[in-house]
Order: sequence, then C-alpha cells, then structure tokens
Amino acid sequence: MTSKGGIGKRILKTVKKSWAGWLFVLPLVLGLAIFTFYPMVMSFIYSLYHYDGVGMVEDSVVFRGFGNYIEAFTADQDLMFTIPDGNGGTMFNRNSVFYTTFRYAVITIPINLVLSYLLAVLLNRKTKGIGVFRLLIYLPCIIPGVVSGLIWRSAFDPAGLVNYWLDKIGVDVSGLTWFRGETTAFPTLIITGLWGLGGSMILWLSSLKNIPDTVYEAARLDGAGPFTRLIKITVPMSTSMIFYNLITGIIGALQTFSTYTLGLGKQSGLYLYAVKIYEEAFNTASRYGYASALSWILFAVIGVLTLLIFRTSKWVYYGEES
Amino acid sequence: MKAHIKRKTAIDIAFYILLIVLSLVFIFPYLFMVNKSLSSELLVKRTLVPFFPWGWDQDGLVWCRPTFAAYRNIFAGKYNYLKNTWNTLKIVLFNMVAVPLSASVVAYGFAKLEFFGKKFLFALMISTLLLPSMVLQIPQYILFTSIGWGQSAKPLTWPNLLGGGAMNIFLVRQFMRSIPKDLDEAAKIDGAGPFMRYALITMPLCVPILIYLLVGTFNGYWSDFFGPLIYLNVKDEYTLAIAIFRDFNSNYKMTEVPNGMAAGVFMSVFPAILFFLFQRRLIDGVMITGMKG
Repeated sequence: MTSKGGIGKRILKTVKKSWAGWLFVLPLVLGLAIFTFYPMVMSFIYSLYHYDGVGMVEDSVVFRGFGNYIEAFTADQDLMFTIPDGNGGTMFNRNSVFYTTFRYAVITIPINLVLSYLLAVLLNRKTKGIGVFRLLIYLPCIIPGVVSGLIWRSAFDPAGLVNYWLDKIGVDVSGLTWFRGETTAFPTLIITGLWGLGGSMILWLSSLKNIPDTVYEAARLDGAGPFTRLIKITVPMSTSMIFYNLITGIIGALQTFSTYTLGLGKQSGLYLYAVKIYEEAFNTASRYGYASALSWILFAVIGVLTLLIFRTSKWVYYGEES
Repeated sequence: MKAHIKRKTAIDIAFYILLIVLSLVFIFPYLFMVNKSLSSELLVKRTLVPFFPWGWDQDGLVWCRPTFAAYRNIFAGKYNYLKNTWNTLKIVLFNMVAVPLSASVVAYGFAKLEFFGKKFLFALMISTLLLPSMVLQIPQYILFTSIGWGQSAKPLTWPNLLGGGAMNIFLVRQFMRSIPKDLDEAAKIDGAGPFMRYALITMPLCVPILIYLLVGTFNGYWSDFFGPLIYLNVKDEYTLAIAIFRDFNSNYKMTEVPNGMAAGVFMSVFPAILFFLFQRRLIDGVMITGMKG
C-alpha cells in the first residue's frame, strides 16, 4: 500500500512498534506452544499409535492408523451399547461409558439449570439479610472435591446418616444402598450434585441484576403478576446466561471426573467417560495411545454439540445493540 | 389497606422460613462433617449412626461424648497431616506468586500495549478455554515424564510461570482496560518505559483483581485433586487432597470416619475463611468469569 520504503523498512517499523508488547506476551506464547499446542498435536499422533508406557523401547510403539478408534467403537466392551447376553443373542449394555455419561449429562444439565435458576429468582429479592443466605447457599461449592466425596459417601452409606433419619421416620432402608448399589449409585450422584447449585445460582444472579427495574415497573403497571413477569421478562432476558450455562454445563458434564467415581469399578453404575480415560492411561494400564484416541472422541463429541448449540442459538438475547 | 399489609408480612415470614430451611439444607455437608469429626470411635461403630456426636453405643451400655481425638490422630497420631499440609503449601505458595505475576505481565501486554498479532493471539488464547483438559493430560504427562519431572510437583508449579492460565490473563486484562489511559500516557511522556509503567503505574491499581487471583489460586491448588493424583505417587510427597483420598476414600472402615472427617474439616476451613473475608470481591469475580461469553 505504502509506496515509500521497502518490505525491510516496514518490518523494521513493525518490530520497533511491537517489541515491548511481544516481550510482555512472550510467556503466553511459550506457554501455549509448549503446554497446549505441542501436547495437542502429540495427543493426536499418539492416538494413531499402539503406545503403552513411558520410556518403553522404540519398537514397542507401533503405528496402527485409526486402529485405536476402530477398537474403541468395535472391540471395547466398556463403550459398546450392546453386549452378548450369554445365550447367543445381544443385550443392552447398561454399563457402557457412553450411556452412563450421556445419561448423566441429559439428567443433570436441565435439573441444574432449572433449580439454580429458581434459587436465583428466589434470592434476587432485595430484603434484609439476603446476602447471608446467598453466601450460605454458595458455601458447599468451595468444599474441596475430595472432601465432599468423603462426606457424601459417608452420609449416603447404607449405615449412614440419611438412612438413620429415614429409618427414624419409618422408611424401610434395607434396600437403600446409595453409592454401594449398581442401580442406586447413579441417582445418588445426581442428588449429591444438587449441593453445587450455588455456583450457577451466582451466575444467574448477576444476569438478573442486569435487567432494569423499569421493565418490571412497566409490566407491573400493565397488571402482570409475578409469574407472568418471570415467564415474559426474566426468562427471555436471561437467555444469554441460559446459553452460557448450557454450553459450560455440557462441557463439564461430559468430562465429569469426581472422586466418588474412582475405584468403584465398571459395574458401579458410575463408570463415566473421563474415568475410563483415566483408568486406561494412568491407573490399570498405561495405554497412552488408546486413551489419547478416547480423549479425541470426547473432544469431537463436545465440539459437535457446542457447534450445534451455537448454530441453533437464534433464541439468545444479548441485550440492546452494544 | 390493613389486610394488604398483613398479607405482605405473612409472605415475608414465609419467605424467610423458606430461606432458613434452604440454608440449613445447603450447609448440611459442613454440619455433618464437623459432627462426624467429633464423634468417638465407639459411636460410629453403631449400625445406624446419629447426626450429633453423642449418644449410646450399639449395645446401649456406654454413653459416648464428643471428642477431639480425631484431630489429634491426624496431626500427631497415626497420620502425619502436617507433612501433607506442608507439601500442599509448597505448591500453593509457588503458584500464588507465579500465577498473578505471569498473568499480569501478559495481561498488561494485551491491555496497554500495541503489537503486531495482538488480536490473533488473544483469540487463540480464548479458544483454548474450550479445549477439554482431558485431551492435554496424557501428552503433558508424557512430556513431563520425558524431561524427568514425572514423580514430582514440578508439573503443577513451573508451567504457571508461562502465562498463569488463559482465564486469569483474561480477567486481569479486563480489569486493566478499565484503568484510564491518561495515567499511562502521562508516565510515557515523562519517559517511563513499558516495564516501569507496568510495575509502578498499573500494578498498584490492580490490587482488587490480584486479590481475586490470589484467593482463586489458593483454593484451586489447595483443593486440586487430579494433578497431584497423576504426578505424586510417593507417599512422602502427597498433598492433603491425595492423602485424604488414599487414606479414607478408597476403602474406608467405619471407625476411620471421624479421622477422615477431621482431615476434611481442616482442609475445608481455609477456603471457607478466605471466602468469608473476601466474599464481595469473590462473588463479583465469579460474575465476571461467568459473563465472559
């Protein structure tokens, strides 16, 4: 574009203008290159190899193309939706990590969205002492994960406190095995997850605060009751937050890896996808190649879902033109 | 009119009762944990264990009273949680220096300086937030192992000197952008270079966001489970989270419950204190984090 000076001069000018900025962001550039992009590329490369264990002899690392991916979809019983039933036929595999993980996501995300939203609407009232209540409801979110694992496994033990109380009010607790039972473990994980609602609630509260009072004032003058105001104003005007919570909810739910779910085994009803990756890579086997392939399958699923939601996000309201 | 006011007070009372019930439900894990940690071994041996840390034993012969024995056990008895606390603190303290320092340097570049490729780099950084951590864990583990960091805490600390996390950089940058440009410009005219302006003009004004970062870093690494789980396999190096997990979560006996809960109380109390001290700032911070979309 400019006629004066050659390319050399233009480069010199850019360097002169940019050197300080480059110096400041240099740590980030190095960090991204070493700890994000290099591992990402390597992860994909590993996923194409039969690669077991660190520091193994070179020739035990064998290229197998998409063999790991093919194995995941055709040979790994932990992932299959149907398994042989022992009588020559097939039956539905209740312990498939796909099934467990999707079921977990499909059940927890709506429950979390709706309940945390209701909590936020409830706590959005400007009355005395409301801050204390918000604080108390948020508090369980900062219990370290390993500690809450301990608490819930003890409270929901067959001989734990919850059964003690239920027994006192006359409920037969003999079948209530909670985390210890194959069928009860899953609902228990969802119930105990409810104590984390405070995190999303805080986010909702911030978006509710952004709705101007005048809008409610006007609606009230027009005779809209509390319920109408909720459905016609509050919900439509918080769609960008619903959207955000939905995306992060899906990403989070599909990667759920909590301490409860570790070491319980495949039949526990809590064998989630992230646990499977951990088991393959770090715990029982050191199948880095196969585990990398599994992580890319997860990445692909999350990517497709995120894209789908973005594509269908016409319903999201981002506020007035900013 | 009078009826209207009466109705309003009735609604208010119902509202507060609802809130109190909800709060009790939500702080149940804390109450439970504290009660359990004070229960005696005899009490937790019952088939159905009561909520409060006192009551009759299984045979109804001995009345059990609350005891601090579990706290003695974890620090000076059969467990040595002071050692684990120190292991955790080493990681936490390193990161409490590294993360704010590194993140604020990079953020200053994004917020206050012009350079070629800025928009691209920023977009690249933000896009990494969507990347599932699962994809990176295995190759990072192999990378760290191959340079001899395998069985150490180094993978949990040193990398933070290079950026300190995309989210943290983003937060500090947002904060720095709200500081008026005039200050920087004036210092520039007086001949202050970019490093002087970063250290002497911008940083002193960033205290609120730095506090948020410090507390967040403390909580994050104090509670971190997955990192230490992969990298720390020697008992002497266990952090609190891993020690608790290995001692009490895998295969626990009923009689060990008070010890585990005492360790749990000890581990939960620090994040809770920090949260109470800085609640305003933290909740605002959570809100900024949430609004990034």
